[in-house]
Amino acid sequence: MNLSLLTLEIVVATLALFIFILGLVAPANQKRGIGYFTVLSLVVSLIIAIILHGESGTAFGTMYVVDPFSSYFKIAFLIAAVLVTMFSISYVNKLGYNQGEFFALTVLALLGMMIMSSAADFITFYLGLEMMTIPFIILTAFRYGDKASSEAGMKYMLLSAMSSAVLLYGLSILYGAAGSTLYSDVINVITGDNIDALTVIGLVFLLAGFGFKISMVPFHMWSPDIYQGAPTPVTAFLAIGSKAAALAAMIRMFMIALPETREVWMTLVIVLCAMTIVLGNFVAIPQTNIKRMLAYSSIAHAGYLLMGLVAFTNLGISAILYYVMIYVFANAGAFACVNEFGNMTGSDEIKDYTGMWKRSPLIASVMLLCLLSLGGIPPLAGFVGKFYLFTAIIDQGYIWLAFLGIGMSMVSVYYYLIVVKVMFLGKPVEETSVPVSLGAKTVMFVSAVASLFLGLYPAPLTDIATKVAQLFFPM
Amino acid sequence: MLQQYSGLGIYLIAAIIFPFIIVFVALILGPKRPNPEKLTTYECGLDTQGPTWVQFKINYFLYALVFVVFDVETVFLYPWAVKFQALGLFAFIEMIIFIAILVIGLWYAWKEGALEWM
Amino acid sequence: MITLEYYLILAAALFCIGLFGAVAKKNAVAVLMSIELMLNSVNINLVAFNRFLAPSQLVGHVFAIFVIVVAAAEVAVGLAIVISIYRDRFSTEVDNLDWLKW
Repeated sequence: MNLSLLTLEIVVATLALFIFILGLVAPANQKRGIGYFTVLSLVVSLIIAIILHGESGTAFGTMYVVDPFSSYFKIAFLIAAVLVTMFSISYVNKLGYNQGEFFALTVLALLGMMIMSSAADFITFYLGLEMMTIPFIILTAFRYGDKASSEAGMKYMLLSAMSSAVLLYGLSILYGAAGSTLYSDVINVITGDNIDALTVIGLVFLLAGFGFKISMVPFHMWSPDIYQGAPTPVTAFLAIGSKAAALAAMIRMFMIALPETREVWMTLVIVLCAMTIVLGNFVAIPQTNIKRMLAYSSIAHAGYLLMGLVAFTNLGISAILYYVMIYVFANAGAFACVNEFGNMTGSDEIKDYTGMWKRSPLIASVMLLCLLSLGGIPPLAGFVGKFYLFTAIIDQGYIWLAFLGIGMSMVSVYYYLIVVKVMFLGKPVEETSVPVSLGAKTVMFVSAVASLFLGLYPAPLTDIATKVAQLFFPM
Repeated sequence: MLQQYSGLGIYLIAAIIFPFIIVFVALILGPKRPNPEKLTTYECGLDTQGPTWVQFKINYFLYALVFVVFDVETVFLYPWAVKFQALGLFAFIEMIIFIAILVIGLWYAWKEGALEWM
Repeated sequence: MITLEYYLILAAALFCIGLFGAVAKKNAVAVLMSIELMLNSVNINLVAFNRFLAPSQLVGHVFAIFVIVVAAAEVAVGLAIVISIYRDRFSTEVDNLDWLKW
């Protein structure tokens, strides 16, 4: 077996354990350094990932696949992790305890995401999923003695345990229908001609489980509560990483193992996709808490991302890949702003953002860029991403879905602009300026530049995305 | 097909009915002369002390949690031990790594005071 | 002879009981126990499929072992959170978790 394929995973796993140990042995006044160390090592891992991105092969039999698709997602997760840990340093230092655990758990969750994107076997996939979920549960309940945080942790724990039980039931039935857990075997056994009731039941359960993880309507109810209660950096990582990882695993499973059963799950996915877009955008409008608003907007984005799967073409998958990358930057920037403001005032209410332009021009302008990118306003990256997704589904004849998506994007611009209006036109309640830590400044700068650059000059990234997507549709 | 299990079925029915018979017989034959001493709660022959619904110390739960995790992880050791000869050096190293990670976990629990009895 | 269907029906019944408990129970610990029932039904499925479809390969058994271990880890985290919530509010009723809008 070729262990060198697993270099990145081994590096990240060792890093997680090392940070745990560091958190134990470091003297209390030195613990601030753990955050900087984590950011630095994650940047090194990111460089390793970029160097190794051309590798492909399988490890552990065919249970674990390293290919351009998994490398692309791993790079996206690493970027997300770097950005999130960067602006979480100030948060964790303010919290003042368990620095080591916070960063070690973040890295462990990252490892789980990596395993999910590479899994080509039900067992490996399940392990990756739980390796991501369990650290997230702990991180959600991280604020000791804070009722909102522990309540969010409890809800996340109960609901995610329930959803993984549902997902597992589907997996066990598909194992029964196929006689194997390997994707490469499943595709040979479950073909279009012999879909039986067992397979259909398994698929429905599977879709429900995935629906929870990427917060698809009607399995989205957990996300606003958990996003609001969790510490802001955790919310950011949850919104970006957990969703992207579940989507990566879903794409691999449905495209590699179960493409023949397309007529069974496609109808369901289309309906859920449309419902997700509509509900996510409309319910976001009356929200008064910015984290809840971003939660509903992330639900809506899950719907947009599913469109690529509905298209089921090279263009659709490459659109998903492109969109995931810009979603990472836009969300990280927005949450970095929310985090810095929350750090100072302890409030996440939109009405407290009044007059932000006067108090901190940096936060106001980065927030503006990121929200407009999420809303899909040209010339920002979000516009290009949505354009690709809508083109992909119009090519396949789902014109009504594309129009629904475009209409709902306009709705989303409305609620993003409410925040912008409050920030730029409102009279500030207090005149005190909002301090921004160095880490958060870097994150804001990087995400604003990336959102602008990828919008004005998307060609390099779309080329990569198209190449990666060819894995599923060889030409 | 069901005949294979008929013995088991008869045994099951007998096992369910037998306790009722015993209780019924004891009810009929036994003399009844209750007094307050006899009606007190039985606790190893001693007088009971305090309310029964006391709270357990939270330390019990910490111990239980640590125990549950380490207890269940050993499930992986059994298949490995059974096939130890066939699996060879690579599996041995893998298991060493696995146990090393568990030891880090134990060290963590120790250092954080989960094993202290306060 | 007891065939595969019996095991599948048992597992389905157990899964439904667990799901009902997870939705209907008010106490967080009881919800966790119900979720354990659901996971155990998955284990029955896996082992039964393994026994009847491919007895020579042990994939189903291995899967079941992983499910058991992960479930234990999940329960450990879950109980720890239950304890921390109990310290805050002296209650583990799910209905009382209304700090955030449900």
